[in-house]
Amino acid sequence: MNESVRAELRKELVDLLGESKVLWSKSDLLPYTKDTYRIRFEDDHRYFPDFAVLPETTQEVQGIVRIASRRKTPLIPKGGGSNRTGMLVPIYGGILVDTIKMKRVLEVNKPDLNVTVQPGITLKELDDHLKDYGLWLTQEQGSLKIATVGGAISTSGFSRLHQKYGAIANRVMSLEIVLADGSILRTGPKVLYTSTGYRLHQLFIAAEGTLGIITEATLRVEPLPETSDVVMAFYDDFWKANEAAQRLMASGVVFSGAEAYEGHGLDRLGAPEGKTSLIYVLLHGIRGEVEAEALFVKKLVEETGGFLARHDVAMTFLDVYTEQWCGARALTGFEDVITTYVPMERMREFYDKLWNVIAPKYGIEPLPGEKYSLDVGRYRMAGGRYKLPKGERAWERYQEAVREIAVLATSFGGSIQSCHGVGIQHRENIALEYSDVALDTMRNIKRLFDPDNIMNPGKKLPMKK
Amino acid sequence: MNSATKAMLETAEACAMCRCGCCKDQCPMYSEIIEESISPKGRNLLIRAVCSGVVEPDERAVRIAYSCLLCRRDEYDCTARLKNAEAAESFREYLVDKGVPTLKEHEALLKSLENYGNPWQESRAARKRWAREIKGRKAAPGRMRVLFYVGCTFALDRSLQETPKALAHLMELAHEDYGLLLEDEACCGSTAKRIGQRQIFERIRKENEAKIRNLGVKSVVTACAGCFKTLKQDYPGLTEDVEILHSTEYLSRLVQSGNLRFKDSKSIVTYHDPCHLGRYAEVYDAPRKILKAVSGLKLIEMRNSREKARCCGGGAGVKTAYPEISGKAALRRLMEAERTGAETIVTTCPFCVQTLRAAAEANSSKMRVVELSVFLAELAIPTPTGAAR
Repeated sequence: MNESVRAELRKELVDLLGESKVLWSKSDLLPYTKDTYRIRFEDDHRYFPDFAVLPETTQEVQGIVRIASRRKTPLIPKGGGSNRTGMLVPIYGGILVDTIKMKRVLEVNKPDLNVTVQPGITLKELDDHLKDYGLWLTQEQGSLKIATVGGAISTSGFSRLHQKYGAIANRVMSLEIVLADGSILRTGPKVLYTSTGYRLHQLFIAAEGTLGIITEATLRVEPLPETSDVVMAFYDDFWKANEAAQRLMASGVVFSGAEAYEGHGLDRLGAPEGKTSLIYVLLHGIRGEVEAEALFVKKLVEETGGFLARHDVAMTFLDVYTEQWCGARALTGFEDVITTYVPMERMREFYDKLWNVIAPKYGIEPLPGEKYSLDVGRYRMAGGRYKLPKGERAWERYQEAVREIAVLATSFGGSIQSCHGVGIQHRENIALEYSDVALDTMRNIKRLFDPDNIMNPGKKLPMKK
Repeated sequence: MNSATKAMLETAEACAMCRCGCCKDQCPMYSEIIEESISPKGRNLLIRAVCSGVVEPDERAVRIAYSCLLCRRDEYDCTARLKNAEAAESFREYLVDKGVPTLKEHEALLKSLENYGNPWQESRAARKRWAREIKGRKAAPGRMRVLFYVGCTFALDRSLQETPKALAHLMELAHEDYGLLLEDEACCGSTAKRIGQRQIFERIRKENEAKIRNLGVKSVVTACAGCFKTLKQDYPGLTEDVEILHSTEYLSRLVQSGNLRFKDSKSIVTYHDPCHLGRYAEVYDAPRKILKAVSGLKLIEMRNSREKARCCGGGAGVKTAYPEISGKAALRRLMEAERTGAETIVTTCPFCVQTLRAAAEANSSKMRVVELSVFLAELAIPTPTGAAR
């Protein structure tokens, strides 16, 4: 963007929003140069947006979009900023629309169990607000302190309570969107189920800001459960824990969420020698229900050769584990995370190929205690964390490894990403997962909503070959 | 590159490796301003960019550098426990050392420090005004065991002078052997250090260290959380043979030994942990133990207490540079205190008392904000000489 255009644009934005809501100094724009995606180290300061703006109302967002639309300037909508796939990197500069000041709770509808909010409220702030009404959103994702409602919807975020309460994708009832031409779209009535109209709100779940900017969301909430509990058990190895996980799923017991993983230093949690893996099962509900479910799960642990952890240790573990979402990335150095969706029956094959074939081939290695991790239940997220390759062609080899992991997951009928989106990282890889017809349909949808390609350009969809 | 700058860059690099933003959740400055750059993460990214020459240390960069209360609340949300406050303080020093013009709002503080030995533009003689009625306690070499170091803010802010009076009263009741520097007391240098003026701080530190050493005291007691943190952690030479105690630790010992007793009280109070006393020095139990020693008193904890207590907004030069933000942070804390149902907030730092009291007054809150020594002096009863010693 040349300086005179930039000066004109700045004046227009300041006239609309006032000085304090338009950021242009490099010092202020630094946090917007990238999200938590691993771009080339030398590119860390490469992608500055021209401006970051901090709207507080739908009308302000509308004004920004109209300015950008007239000038065909890229717009990058942002929530909490913790994305891992580069969906927030302003690769073509433009205006970064930071929604973090849009934090208002517009309506709490207790009888109909829904809440209407602006998109910039974090999941934690929303739960803090709902607590006074005896309600909660039920969305426990690791980044809940940072992730905003708008960001979680735009990424189709995870919740570890998915089995009982679903993920955010299951909770969206209606959205208000500012479209690329500045018009305001209300996707439909604020109801959970209806058989009228196309379910437009579904188009914006995981859209990564490529179709419009969410300015309001109505979400299904639940009454706070009377009680909650956790059962945790140690197993000889991950596959034994995995076997227990499969039994758990087949049993029909209604747990809220569960995870099986190979741990590191489990002896500190009281694991007997030789037990390398654990499973924890979360339960929420009315007291009698949770007690019965806990008994059931404990019996299942016994039957599958597990060693039950002390209850107080399990509770403490869960608190600490929740707070450690980012996995101390600051200390682990260059790493990345796998959050693929893999069918249960191919899980072992997936991990065998991942760590025995792909990892040595490209020089990636699992971080201690993060080799195997399975979200048990509907999610089937097969995860892991690894150190990035080092040495010659390190970044290229990293990209090749990411590609090959994507090939592996999709060849099993799974998905490349269960909850982190596509961004830049998987832009070309998603062609592995969708047919040409499906991709063309998506491109047509994008064109319909955003004919000038100003909404988060260069993300989500592969370039047309 | 000195060790502080090296540590600062390591913190900034580590943060840039992660960029999670967990630090924003309870950061008092971010909570009010809501801009990415005004957060520990934003500041770490700035440190990295300024030091590598990507970003000029211009006026905006300086504003961001000084938009931090150094409260360390964010460090308890950081999985890696990065020392963000230390990095922020070092960044200020880095800018000052590079000759970058810093905040105009701090100029008066620095001039006053230079001319009067306190940041509040009060004469040296004004420092002893609070102690008009105290006789025979002037500190002299070898004459007493304990030096009561009052601190600039408690000594010079008329609305806070009740604290040194109360603490002196409690010491008298407990028959303690203490002395005061009165007009010879000078600022501990905390203000200079927190705003990056290392050279000024070092000069002050050397003078104070010599003065205190010369007295030959065993302990220095202060009611000011800022002075306590500074004397205990930023005067490494002094702490080798002089014990630095906060008044809460000191009074807690007196209570434990039976030399300080209180009448019953039906007060319902909540306790606000000052950052410099709590997160910096991990003194959480002493004030609570004292309050619990008052029979009938009900202590209700706020939702965020001890290491998770929210900052009052009064620290690190923010109150002087950004009074409006400081006021908002104080109001947020006050509201948290109100939610406990308590009638009184007890705290132990002059800045916390100032900011919380101002927030209470500005918002017509019924909550009383009181410094711990003052609260205790109202309840203390005389003990026989040498009781339980």
